[in-house]
Amino acid sequence: MPETFQDKVAIIQFPGVNCEYETARAVRMVGLEAELFRWNEDPHMLDHCSAVILPGGFSYQDRIRAGVVAAKDKIMGKVSELAREGRPVLGICNGAQVLVESGLIPGIHWERVDLALAPNIMADREGYYCTWIYLRCEESGCVWTRAFRTGEVVPMPIAHAEGRFAITDRDVLGEMEKQGQIALRYCTPAGEIDERFPVNPNGSVSNIAGVCNAEGNVLAMMPHPERATWLRQVPEDLGGPWGGKRTSSSGDRNGLEAEGPGMMFFSSLAAKEVDE
Amino acid sequence: MARFDLWVKLKVIDLVAQTAWMTLTEKLGLEGELLGLARYSFWRMEIETDDGPAALDEIDRVIRLDSAFTNQNKHLYMLRMDEGPARGDLLLDKDYPVLVENGGGRSGFAVDCLVRELDTEREEGYRSRLNARLENIQVNGLAAGEVWRILLDAGNEKEAEQKVERIVVTTSRREGLLLNPHYQRLEILSIVPI
Repeated sequence: MPETFQDKVAIIQFPGVNCEYETARAVRMVGLEAELFRWNEDPHMLDHCSAVILPGGFSYQDRIRAGVVAAKDKIMGKVSELAREGRPVLGICNGAQVLVESGLIPGIHWERVDLALAPNIMADREGYYCTWIYLRCEESGCVWTRAFRTGEVVPMPIAHAEGRFAITDRDVLGEMEKQGQIALRYCTPAGEIDERFPVNPNGSVSNIAGVCNAEGNVLAMMPHPERATWLRQVPEDLGGPWGGKRTSSSGDRNGLEAEGPGMMFFSSLAAKEVDE
Repeated sequence: MARFDLWVKLKVIDLVAQTAWMTLTEKLGLEGELLGLARYSFWRMEIETDDGPAALDEIDRVIRLDSAFTNQNKHLYMLRMDEGPARGDLLLDKDYPVLVENGGGRSGFAVDCLVRELDTEREEGYRSRLNARLENIQVNGLAAGEVWRILLDAGNEKEAEQKVERIVVTTSRREGLLLNPHYQRLEILSIVPI
């Protein structure tokens, strides 16, 4: 009898992803059930799942272009169908690249590829970049950010070589702005938008760090909330309120197990399920 | 102005090309249309020179010593001036890998598709790198990217060109694979009958 994923959050495990276990753990921490789904299993097993998460990593070793090979997999047809029905779908880092290459994000023209996550453009360096940045939560109807206040600033880790949101059609970008689809932007610790490196760590257009679809149930974000789920994951030298909390909890085992800034993405999903 | 083209290919099986082949044939339904596929790193340099063969030798010396271009432990390369003399061990004019079973006798076209980034920063980086190492010549213009040699069934050149655009340029989840038009562009370098 195959597992049905009834009311569970399905974490899609493409070959080469490497954040699936910590993502599942973060989901379980907010009281939801999570299960890994191997990409080549029967897509119908997901018919009754409660949500889908595409975790970070390097699906298909980033061959050809990050996310593009996974985007062509049969399972993405099912994810597209579930997204269209309104099921929450989150793509983190490589998962975001898969959603963009599938045309589920921005989703203005369904399954049309209207965006790219292009190689980073950074001052004095190129390639893979790994650091903590600040995110500003923008006004949007996104189900994955509902636990945040509009304008709230949170620190979050990034780790990618191809994370620059790029678009050639300015009309589509305008549409995304108008429909409140830009859910997350890179900003300074004070919440100001500065297009220059390192505030904008990859040269993304309009400092975009996360885009949702117009309906708000699908979010593609480059930062890794599952790597900031517990306070112990926050660096001691980060500074600001979160760095301060982390420093004051040093040596306090229970204190370090408190919520980190990334937990709110998963709490947002849990809150949605409670509402329903 | 002389033009120098550098083509670089892996000596071992190219797993990226293999993945592209499998994705195109098994996931995008192009089995039957595609006959073969190969991938190269590519640089096109424009250089002002009165002595082409000497320039060819100088570029050859530089690219053999700089792993940003070639690593002789793992690459084959061909450096060619215009359509004339060449250096290196890659037999580009004989490299038409047919990957379908019993496809040896089938006719069609081989289309060399250059995928370049819209942003020119990387190309500028290569140009600066070369110019810092070249002693007697300077690179005035440089194009760089990945060339996909696509072997396919087509009735004529026009049809071949239309088909490769559909294969290369990603427009939707179901169409295109090898470039994303929001940061890359396609240039067809050549179409030859096979």
